Amino acid sequence: MNNSELDALLKKARTPEPPEEFWEEFPQQVARGLNRARTENFRPRQNWFPRLAWGFATAICILAAFAVGHWRGRMEAKASTDVLADATMVRETLAMFPNQVRAIVQDEHGLNLVLSDNADVPASPPIYVSIYDGKHHSSLVTFSGQEIQIAGQKMTVLSDAQGGIILMGNDFAWSSRDPAYEKNDLKIEAKPLSTVM
Amino acid sequence: MARMAQPDEPNWIQNSLAGDTEAYAAIVKEHQKMVHAVAFRMTGSLADAEDLTQETFLRAFRQIDSFRGESKFSTWLCQIAVNLGLNWCARENRRDDIHSEWAADAISENDSRGGFPDELSRRVQNALDKLPAKQRAAIVLTIYENQTHAEAAKTLNCTEATVSWRVFTARQKLKRLLKGISHEQF
Repeated sequence: MNNSELDALLKKARTPEPPEEFWEEFPQQVARGLNRARTENFRPRQNWFPRLAWGFATAICILAAFAVGHWRGRMEAKASTDVLADATMVRETLAMFPNQVRAIVQDEHGLNLVLSDNADVPASPPIYVSIYDGKHHSSLVTFSGQEIQIAGQKMTVLSDAQGGIILMGNDFAWSSRDPAYEKNDLKIEAKPLSTVM
Repeated sequence: MARMAQPDEPNWIQNSLAGDTEAYAAIVKEHQKMVHAVAFRMTGSLADAEDLTQETFLRAFRQIDSFRGESKFSTWLCQIAVNLGLNWCARENRRDDIHSEWAADAISENDSRGGFPDELSRRVQNALDKLPAKQRAAIVLTIYENQTHAEAAKTLNCTEATVSWRVFTARQKLKRLLKGISHEQF
């Protein structure tokens, strides 16, 4: 079955319908519902209970806002990784700009998309890179062969046939075969994105 | 579906904006069957489709000042119906424990009210019911309501690429579920 045959089949299917009397009565039923709602909205409140309930609800909201603020602060670092680990987001972004995405970068400024002017980025498995320079944490999704700037460092990301990843900077080289590398407080992590998701 | 707008519709909308419920009743009469069909395809139940149709029109009246005329009024109504349908699906999914009981009720109710007009319609709806809600919504909008992927993306608050992906995946599943049915059979 091809798509047009499927569409024709779907369109041929009809839905069951209520009897004709239902349709005759329905518009008036909706109008009555609207009039009733309007009357209820204008009914004066003589009861003190709703006010007490509103006061109580407001207090709960304020407490909840404090709790969420506290929780968000703790979760911020985790969230930045989570955004890039969202398969749907990455897939949608790549689909929107085929062969143009050089990197999707997440840092303290938020999420940034680095695009090539032309559709010349070769298709290859996406790579996840995370760098912490002692003050700032940045992470990104990119592809082998891309030259990128992250945490103030310019580097080229390469992957080898065995799935190993190499980052070549101006004055350093990092390999996933020797991940314990640390220089000038630079902590690096890089792996295929498929292992992060 | 490509529908001709009723020539009086702009006046009905203007009067409804001023709070005229009789003018709004005329709008309801014009679009009630389309909204009901969308609601039924989203829920698979006559009783829930009736409730959802009513809820769609009540909500549309409350939000009618947000209708800017950028799309047809029917498209705007369809957008509200599909989003209410998605909320309905989310609520139903949360009620896992009584879901099977509800499904049995819905089937017997459809049967008792005459049910589906033919076997093809029943099988197609059963297949639609098996799709995840968001994929079902994408099929309802793009195939039954003839919306472009861009319009459907606006309704579903996602990217066009997501709509395309959902339609693609849904089509694969529907082809599998409806395998063996040919037009001539029905």
